Amino acid sequence: MKFKIILIILLVNIHSISFTNEIINENKIHKNLRCLVCQGQSISDSNSDFAITLKMVVKDLVEQGKSEQEIYNFLSEKYGDWILYKPKLNKGNFLLWALPYIVLVSGGLIIVFLIRKRTEKS
Amino acid sequence: MLSNIGNFLLFLNVLLSILIIYNSYNCLKTSNNLIFRKIYKLSLFQSTSILICFFTLISAYLISDFSLINVYQNSHSLKPIFYKISGTWGNHEGSLLLWAIILTIFSFLFLIFNNKHPKNYRLYTLIIQNLLIIGFLFFILFNSNPFSVISPVPNEGLGLNPILQDPALAIHPPLLYLGFVGSSIYFSAAMASMISNYNDKPFAQSIKSWVLISWVFQTLGILVGSIWAYYELGWGGFWFWDPVENASLLPWFAMTALLHSLLVLEKRKAFYFWTIILCLLTFTLSVTGTFLVRSGILNSVHTFANDPSRGIYILIFLSIMISASVYLLFAKYKPERNYISSNSKETFVLINNWFMMFYLLTVMLGTLYPIFTDALLKSKISVGPPFYNSVIIPVVAVFLIFMAVGPQAKWIKNKFTNLKQLLAILIGALIINFLIFYLLKSYSIISNLIIISSLFLIISSLIDLFKKTETNFPRILSHLSFGFLIFFIGLNHNFSIEKDFNLKLGETKIIDNYKFVLKDLELNNKTNYKAIIGKLQVNNMMTNEERILNPEIRIYENPQTLTYEASIQTNFFKDHYLTMSNIDRSEYYNIKFQEKPLMIWIWISTIMLSFGGCLSFFRNEKNN
Repeated sequence: MKFKIILIILLVNIHSISFTNEIINENKIHKNLRCLVCQGQSISDSNSDFAITLKMVVKDLVEQGKSEQEIYNFLSEKYGDWILYKPKLNKGNFLLWALPYIVLVSGGLIIVFLIRKRTEKS
Repeated sequence: MLSNIGNFLLFLNVLLSILIIYNSYNCLKTSNNLIFRKIYKLSLFQSTSILICFFTLISAYLISDFSLINVYQNSHSLKPIFYKISGTWGNHEGSLLLWAIILTIFSFLFLIFNNKHPKNYRLYTLIIQNLLIIGFLFFILFNSNPFSVISPVPNEGLGLNPILQDPALAIHPPLLYLGFVGSSIYFSAAMASMISNYNDKPFAQSIKSWVLISWVFQTLGILVGSIWAYYELGWGGFWFWDPVENASLLPWFAMTALLHSLLVLEKRKAFYFWTIILCLLTFTLSVTGTFLVRSGILNSVHTFANDPSRGIYILIFLSIMISASVYLLFAKYKPERNYISSNSKETFVLINNWFMMFYLLTVMLGTLYPIFTDALLKSKISVGPPFYNSVIIPVVAVFLIFMAVGPQAKWIKNKFTNLKQLLAILIGALIINFLIFYLLKSYSIISNLIIISSLFLIISSLIDLFKKTETNFPRILSHLSFGFLIFFIGLNHNFSIEKDFNLKLGETKIIDNYKFVLKDLELNNKTNYKAIIGKLQVNNMMTNEERILNPEIRIYENPQTLTYEASIQTNFFKDHYLTMSNIDRSEYYNIKFQEKPLMIWIWISTIMLSFGGCLSFFRNEKNN
C-alpha cells in the first residue's frame, strides 16, 4: 500500500518535471557570460557598455533561433573561453569536470575499504 | 611619533615571543606539572602590548596622521569616525595586524583556560603558536608595515573606497579573522599533541571549544559578508563563487568536518590522525586563502592592492608550515585498530567528512584551475557560478538525506528500527514539494531534488526535537537550520523574478504584470558624497500592490567613484530589490528590478545555524 502511494507521488513529480518548458531564458545566458571589462561580474550584473552591447547580441541570436549552446560557441569563438562562466567540457578542462566526481567516488571507496578492514579485525 | 611607538611595540612583541619560547623550553625540562608564573605574565604582557599597538594604529587613523603611508592611502580627514576606525583593518597592512592580535590573544587564552591538561602539551602548543606569531610579526615588520612613514607629509589622505564604507563590511573582517585565524590555535595544539603524545579523548576535549568558537565566527563572518554583497554590490545575489568568497568557504568546510570527527575521537577514540590532519588543514587553508588573495594571483572583486613580494613571503611561510606538519605526521603515524561497524554513528561521521572533502576539493579546484590552464595551456578560462551549481547541488541533495539520518544512528553498532518513519517523512517531503511546485508552476529536476531532500532533513529534525530520547538540542538546531537554509535558498533561486529595462524621467513601462514609473529624480548633497535619488513607482497589477522604491546613484569625491545603492524593501515573504544606473551619453537609466522571495529567511537560518554552534559551545563548557 505504502509503496503504491510513494509510486504515485513519484510519478506525479516526474510528470510535473516532464512539463518543463524549453523556452530559452535570456537571463540565464547573461549570467553565464563574463563582463570582460568588469571585475568578476557577469553581464547580467553589469551595466557597462560592453554588457549592454553583449545583451543586445544575445537577444539577436535568440531571435535568430540559435540554441543556448550555439550562442556560447559563437561568443567563445569571438572572445575566447574567458567569457564563459561555465567552462566547456574539452581536453583542457577535462580534469576540472572529472576530478570532483573522481574524488567523490574514491572517497566512498576509501570509506567502504576502511570499514571493511576495521570490521574484520575484531 | 605614532610610527615610532608602533614599530617599538612590534619589536617588543617579537622579543616577548622569543622570551616565551625560551622560558617554555626551559620549563619543559622541569619534572613537576607546573608552568612558570613568568610564562603567564609574559603571555599577558604580549597580548596587552599587541592590543596597544593596534590602538596606536587606530588613533593614527582617528587623528588622520598622514605621515603614515597606510593612513594616507586608506583614510581621509572628512570621513565619518566609524569608517576611520574600520579603515584600520580595511587594508592589507592593518588586517595583518589584526591577524597578529588574534594569534596572540588566542595563544594567551588557550594557555590559561586549559589548565587541566598536562604541562608539556600546553607548553608545546604555546611554543608553536609563538613561532606562528613571530612569522607574522616578521611579515608585518619587514614587508607590510602599517607604521611606515612618508615624507614630505601629505595634507590630505586618498580616502577609503566608498563601497567599503558600510557597517556590514566594517565588521565582517574581524568576524572572519576570529574564525580562520582562530583556527591557528588548534593547528598548534595538533602539532603539540603529536609531539607530546597527548591524544584521543583528552586532546579532543581540549580543542573542541576552540573549534566551535572559530566555526561560529567563521559562519557569522561569511553571513555578514554575503549580506554586504547583497545590498552593496547591487546585483541582487548574495553568493558569487568569487575566489575570495571561496577562500573563506574552504576553511569552513574543513572546520565543519573537524567538528564532526572530533565527536568520534571524543566518544570512541577513533580517527585520531584524521582529526589531526583536519586541524592542520583548516589553518593551512586559511593561510593559503590569504596567500591567494594578497598576492594578486586570483582575479576577484576584492581588489587588495597587491604585490608579488608578499606572495613570496607567505608562500615560504606556508611551505615551512606544511612541511613541518607533514614530517610530524609521518614520524608519528600509527595505524588504528579499533572496531568500526559499517552501520554506526562513526560511519555517518565519516560520511559527513567525505562530503565535506568533496565540497572542499571541488571549490578549491574551481578556484585554482584557471591559474593552471593559464600557466600550462595558455588558455584563459573562467569558472563561475554555473560550474559550482551544476557540480555541487546534486551532491548536496544526497548529503542532506545523510544529514537527517546520521544523527539518529547509535555509536558502535546501530540498527534502524524506524524505517517506517523515514518512509513517512519521505512521503511528506514529496507531497510538500509537489504542492510548492504545482501551485507556483515552475519545474526543474534539480530544484525538486533539493527541495525534497531539504524538507526531508527539516521534517526529521523537527521530529527529533520532540523526541524524549534525543537530548542534543544544539545539534538538532544546527541541522534543522541548515535544512531550512538550503530550502530557502532553493525556493529563492527558483521563484525570483528579474526585470531589466531602460527608463527615462516621467516614462512608464509595463512588463508582464508590472508597471514601472520613474516619477522623480532628486539631487542630494551629503557630507562625503552627492546622490541622485530616483523615485520609482512599481505596481503589481495582479495583486494591486503599489510601492515606491528609492534607488541612489552616489558620486564620491575622495577617491572619485560612482556607486549604485540598491533600494530594498524587505518583508517576511519577499524582498523587493531595485537598482538604477546611468547610461553614458543618454537620458535613460537602466533599471534592474527583482522580487526575491524569502530572502530574510536565508539570513535567519544562517544565524540559527551559528547559534546552534554557540549552544554547543556552552553545553561543552558545562560538561567539562
